[in-house]
Amino acid sequence: MSAAEKMSRRDEMEALLPFYLNGSLEGAELEAVEEWLASDPAAMAALGEAEAEFSGTSAANEAIRPPADALSRFAKALDAEAGPARMPTGSSWLAQAWGRFMAVPVGVAWAAAAVLLALIVVQSLVQPGGKGKDFEIAGAEDDLAKMPFALVKFKPDAKMSDVSSFLGGNGLRIIGGPTADGVFRLAIPAANTADYSKELGLIAAQPFIETVIEGRKPADGG
Amino acid sequence: MTAATETDRALVDRVAKGDRAAVRLLFMRHHARVYRFVARQTGSEMMADDIANEVFLELWRQAPGFEGRSEVSTWLLGIARFKALSLLRKKKEDWIDDEAAAAVPDSADTPEVVTMKEDKAAALRRFIDALPEEHRTVIDLAYYHGQSVTEIGEVLGIPVATVKTRMFYARKKLGEALKAAGYDRGWP
Repeated sequence: MSAAEKMSRRDEMEALLPFYLNGSLEGAELEAVEEWLASDPAAMAALGEAEAEFSGTSAANEAIRPPADALSRFAKALDAEAGPARMPTGSSWLAQAWGRFMAVPVGVAWAAAAVLLALIVVQSLVQPGGKGKDFEIAGAEDDLAKMPFALVKFKPDAKMSDVSSFLGGNGLRIIGGPTADGVFRLAIPAANTADYSKELGLIAAQPFIETVIEGRKPADGG
Repeated sequence: MTAATETDRALVDRVAKGDRAAVRLLFMRHHARVYRFVARQTGSEMMADDIANEVFLELWRQAPGFEGRSEVSTWLLGIARFKALSLLRKKKEDWIDDEAAAAVPDSADTPEVVTMKEDKAAALRRFIDALPEEHRTVIDLAYYHGQSVTEIGEVLGIPVATVKTRMFYARKKLGEALKAAGYDRGWP
């Protein structure tokens, strides 16, 4: 028989009183304590003693004062531990970003996409020895302004991943837009009109493209 | 839902998703109690400071695996307990064993002298502080941390029957110490 089983009823009730006081007692044990309190004259005195213990324990604990700068020191430790912000679990950060992206109006989303893509392209160009896969850009605005381009409109349900993959894989990039009706200016890395037409055909064949309109063609004039 | 009403579990979910503001909120809610719990166990506020910080970093690390089978406060106290024990073992500090736990708090003064110096509440507090660690911990967890028998069992990694036994002996020792100091409360 264990020590707990050897307890008298009074001992058992005394052991349960702290849990009666903190409100965590339930079921048969709660009923037993309540019955004891109601039936035994000594029980109320015992409850008073437990209350005194309760007060004494609280006072002993409250006397310990945590350092005032604990939170700021923890925040620094957390930053050191965590590093870059943790991405949400359950789906990739790209999927999360895409979800947020798709939640905004299409025009706004594509404007953001244009900025993002432009930044990516510019970033790749400023790297030492950075060259586009299929063409090279001097980077000056004048040069960009003279490049051949087409006007394109993406379908509202176009996926960012598909678009960026296609543009990146073909050396294409957004250099302007969108207009109020969602038209973007797309730089076309074509040396002549034949290449230009070929590029436009390729763009028009993509499932996420709604419209392609010819813009400035290469200097050979076709 | 505002931060003030957001449950601990909801905050842990946010922590699991990498929300540092949520872990700071949980720190603000629970740090003092965790700190005090460790300080009472180790007797060292320096150790309590280190361990309490570690507990919340552990919360950050383990939040994705938190299954919500216990209250967040119980979970944190369990981590704190484990870390405190690990650190104490590392420091090769001696734990008070059962035999030592049976000893009534020692004092240079006789009970009568002590009684003259302090009232019953002060004496009780002193006796609580002087309880053996394993008994004082169940007293702290029940009275100060509001833990149930089952939760204390989870924090300490012991069966519920042992929690009750320790509570019984803790309170018995307090009664005996009070009686020796001239405060007979009728039990044991």
